[in-house]
Amino acid sequence: MSTSSALIETSHLIKKFGDKVAVNDISFNVNGGEVFGFLGPNGAGKTTTIKAIVGLLQPTSGTVKVAGYDVQLQPMQAKAASGFVPDTPNLYMKLSARELLRFVGDLYELKPEKAAERGDELLRLFDLADVRDDLIDSYSHGMQQKIALAAALIHDPKVLVLDEPTVGLDPKSARLIKDMLRQMADRGAAVFLSTHILEIAERMCDRIGIIDRGNLVAVGTMDELRAMGKGERSLEDIFLALTGGAEVAEITEVLK
Amino acid sequence: MTSAAAAGRSAGWKEPFHPEHSILHHVWKLLRLQISVTWSTFRTARLRRKIGTIIVVLVTVLFAGGVFAISWFLLGALRSPELERILIEQNQPSLTPFLETVPVLILAGSFLGILLTSFGVLLSALYLSGDLDFLMAAPVPIRAVFVAKQLQAVLPNFGLIALFGLPVLFGLGASGGYNFLYYPMVVIVLALLALAAAGASSLLVMGVARIFPPRRVAEVIGAVGALLSIICSQSGNFVNAMHLDEQNLSPEQIPFAAITRFNAIWNPLSWPGRGLVDLGEARLLPALLFLGLTVALAGGLFLLSLQVAERLYYSGWANMQAGGRKKRTAPKVRRPGVVPAGTASPVRAGAAASFLSEFIPQPVMGMIRKDFLTLRRDPRNMGQLITPLIVGFMYVFILFRPGGFPIEGRGEAPDWFMQLIGTAMLYSNIGISLLVGWSLISRLGMMGFSQEGKNYWMLKTAPVGAVRLLLAKLLVAYLPGLVMGTLFMVIISLIRGASISILLFGLAVVALSIIGAAGINVAFGVVGVNLNWEDPRKMNPGLSGCFSMLLSFLYMGLSVVLFFGPPLLFEAFGLPELAGQAAGLLLGGAFSIACAVITLGLVKNRVPRIGES
Repeated sequence: MSTSSALIETSHLIKKFGDKVAVNDISFNVNGGEVFGFLGPNGAGKTTTIKAIVGLLQPTSGTVKVAGYDVQLQPMQAKAASGFVPDTPNLYMKLSARELLRFVGDLYELKPEKAAERGDELLRLFDLADVRDDLIDSYSHGMQQKIALAAALIHDPKVLVLDEPTVGLDPKSARLIKDMLRQMADRGAAVFLSTHILEIAERMCDRIGIIDRGNLVAVGTMDELRAMGKGERSLEDIFLALTGGAEVAEITEVLK
Repeated sequence: MTSAAAAGRSAGWKEPFHPEHSILHHVWKLLRLQISVTWSTFRTARLRRKIGTIIVVLVTVLFAGGVFAISWFLLGALRSPELERILIEQNQPSLTPFLETVPVLILAGSFLGILLTSFGVLLSALYLSGDLDFLMAAPVPIRAVFVAKQLQAVLPNFGLIALFGLPVLFGLGASGGYNFLYYPMVVIVLALLALAAAGASSLLVMGVARIFPPRRVAEVIGAVGALLSIICSQSGNFVNAMHLDEQNLSPEQIPFAAITRFNAIWNPLSWPGRGLVDLGEARLLPALLFLGLTVALAGGLFLLSLQVAERLYYSGWANMQAGGRKKRTAPKVRRPGVVPAGTASPVRAGAAASFLSEFIPQPVMGMIRKDFLTLRRDPRNMGQLITPLIVGFMYVFILFRPGGFPIEGRGEAPDWFMQLIGTAMLYSNIGISLLVGWSLISRLGMMGFSQEGKNYWMLKTAPVGAVRLLLAKLLVAYLPGLVMGTLFMVIISLIRGASISILLFGLAVVALSIIGAAGINVAFGVVGVNLNWEDPRKMNPGLSGCFSMLLSFLYMGLSVVLFFGPPLLFEAFGLPELAGQAAGLLLGGAFSIACAVITLGLVKNRVPRIGES
C-alpha cells in the first residue's frame, strides 16, 4: 500500500574504503507506505548502505535523501524524520530503559511529558514495563533489541531503517515487530529493513532489493523478481541464483 | 576410547584433541594466536600508525640503552676507589652495601609491583575477556587457557618493569665486572618472579571471583586502585605534614637504614637480589643457595596457582555464566523533567537542572543529564575522576598545617615587597582551586566524545548538530570543574581568612579560567576520539592526549599570568586593588573564552565525521 512520494532516495551511491568499493553506484527509492527488504550475502554492502541512509557514513559520491532532505546537506531535517535500529544494539548500559527513552526524547526535542507517555506506551507494548527502571546492562540481548526499537520509534518517525531487526528475538517479539512495521507502513511511513531471513522478506516486504558485492542486482516486487529469473519461484532460489548459489555446493563439499 | 568415539573414527572423523600434547604446546598455540592478532593489527594499520609504532619501539630501545649507559657510568663512578677514599676521609659509610642492594630493591620492587598491579588486569583477562566462551568451548586444556591469559595479562607490566629494571641491573653488572652467568640469570629470575607474582595475584583473583561477581569487582577495583595509588603517591606529603619522619637519623642516614632493614637475610624478597650479586661476584655457594631458594619458591608459587586453577578457575567461570545478570535498578524517576530520586540532593539538583534548561537547548540538557548519570554509575569512571578531588583535599589538609605565610627572614626586605609576596600567596589559594578544576576538566573534556564508545551511533543518527554536541561536552567538563573549583575556593578562603574581594575575584577567575581549559580538552578529545573500547579505562587518547597536556600547561601558565599579573602589578605601583583585579579578569577572561571558542571552532567540522574511520 505505497503512497507515491519517495521517502528514501538513493542516487548513484558509492562508498569506498580505501581501494575497496563497498557500495558501487546504487540507486533505488522507498516510498511512503512501503516495507522494503534489503537482502544480500555477508559483506555485500547492506550495512554500509544503511549507514549512509541514516547518516552514520559519508558516501564517497552520490546522494541519499530521507523524507526529501539530503542526508549530507540537510542532516538535521533528514535525521529528525528517521529512526534507526542497528544490528547490534549498543546502548548506554548504565541507564535504565526509561532514562534511555527520555534521553532519546530530549535529542529529538520531544516535550518531556509526551516523551514519558510515549516511552511508557512502547515499554508496555514490548513487555518491558516491569523492568523499565532496571539498568540496561541487566537486560538480555533480545530485551536490548526491543529497547533499541522503542528508542527508534519514540518520535514516531516517517522513515524507519532496521538492520537485522529480528535477530535474537523470541517468536512472540519477532511477530510483534513484524506487525508493528506493517502498521507503520500502513500509516504512510517508509520501512527499510535488511534481513537474512528470506521467509520474513518474502512475507512482509512490498518490494525487495538484492545487493551483491556492492552492486544492486535486483529491485522489485516478488512477482517482478520472479519475472527477472529463470523460473525460480521462491525468494531463496531467486536470491541464490542472483548472488551465486554455487557456493552452497562448495560448502557441502567441504563438510563431506 | 568410548564406542561412540571409535564409531566416529571409523567413519573418518578426526579427533581434534590430542591428549599426548603437553600443556606448553597448547599455551604456545594460544599465545601464537595472540601474536597473530597483534601482527595483523600492525599489518593492517594505517601507514602513519605503523611509522608511529616503529618510532615508539626505536625510542624504547634507545631509552633502555640510555638507562644502561647511565647506570653503567653512575654505578661505576660510585664504585671508584677515589670516592671510597673520600668517604672514609669524611667518616661517611661505604657505598658498597648500598650498591649490592640495588638488585634486591629492583627485584623485590618488580615482584611487589606486578603483584599489586596485576589484580585488575588478571581479573579482566581471566574472567571478562571476550574470547573466553570460544576458548572454554575449544578442545584446549583449561590450564593452558589459564596460563595463556595469565601471561597476556602480566606481560605489559613485566615489559615496563624490565624496561627500567634490566638496563640498571645490566649496568650494575657491567660496572662491577660481574661474572657472565649473572646476565642470563637476571632475565630468568626477573621472569620467574613475574610468574610467581602473577600466580599469587591470580590465586587472589580466583578467590575473590568465587565470592563477588567479577564484573562488579572490576568496576570497583578501578575506583579503589585510583584511590590507593594517590594515597601511596601522596603519602610522602602526609608523612611530611604529620612530621612522622622525625627520628634520630640524619637525612643521609635514612635511606641506608631503610635499605639495610630491607636487605635482611630473613627477608625472602631479598634472596633473588642477594643470589644474583653473589653469582656476579663468583661466590658460587651462597649464589646457589639464594637462587635455588628463589627458583623453588617462585616456581612453587606459580605451580600452586596452576594446580588450584585446575579446580577453581573453570568452576568460577562456570558459576559466573550460571549466575546470569543481577538485577540492578536505577533510582526511580519522579516525573519527567526532574532528575532521578535517590541522588544526593534531588530537589537542589532538579532546581539546578530546571534553571539550566531555561538557557540550554533540550538536546544539550539531555546529553548532560545522560553523561552525569552514566559517569556516576560506573565506578571505573569514578576511579579516574576521584584523582583531582583527592589532590585537592590533600592540599587543603596541608594548608591546615602551620605556615603558608611569607617567611620574614632577617627582616631586611622592604615592606612593600613583603606585602606583595603576601598578596601573591593569597592569590596562590586561587591556584589550588584552579588546579582542582583543571584536573577534573582534563579527564572529562578529553574523554567527552570517547566516553560515548560504541553508543555514539545514538548521537550520530539523532538530529543534533556539531555545535550542540560540542556545547554539551564542554558543559559536561565545565560544570563539575566549576562546582569543585568554587567549593575549594570557598573552603580555602575560609581556612586562610581571605578577604571578600579576594574570594570574589577568585570565584570569577575559577569560573572564567576553566572555560578555556575545558575548550582545549574537548577539542583535543575530538581529534583523538577513540570509540572502540570495552573498558572506560582504555579510552586512550593517543598522541592528541600528549598535545592536549602540552597546550593545557601552556594555557595554564599564560592564563595565570593574565589573571594575576595585573592585580599584582597594580599593587606594586600602589594603584587600587579592585582596578587591578578588574583588569586581570578582563584580560584573563577574554583569553580563556577566546581559547575555548578558537579550539572548538577548529574542530567543529570534524565532529560530523566522528566514528567514520
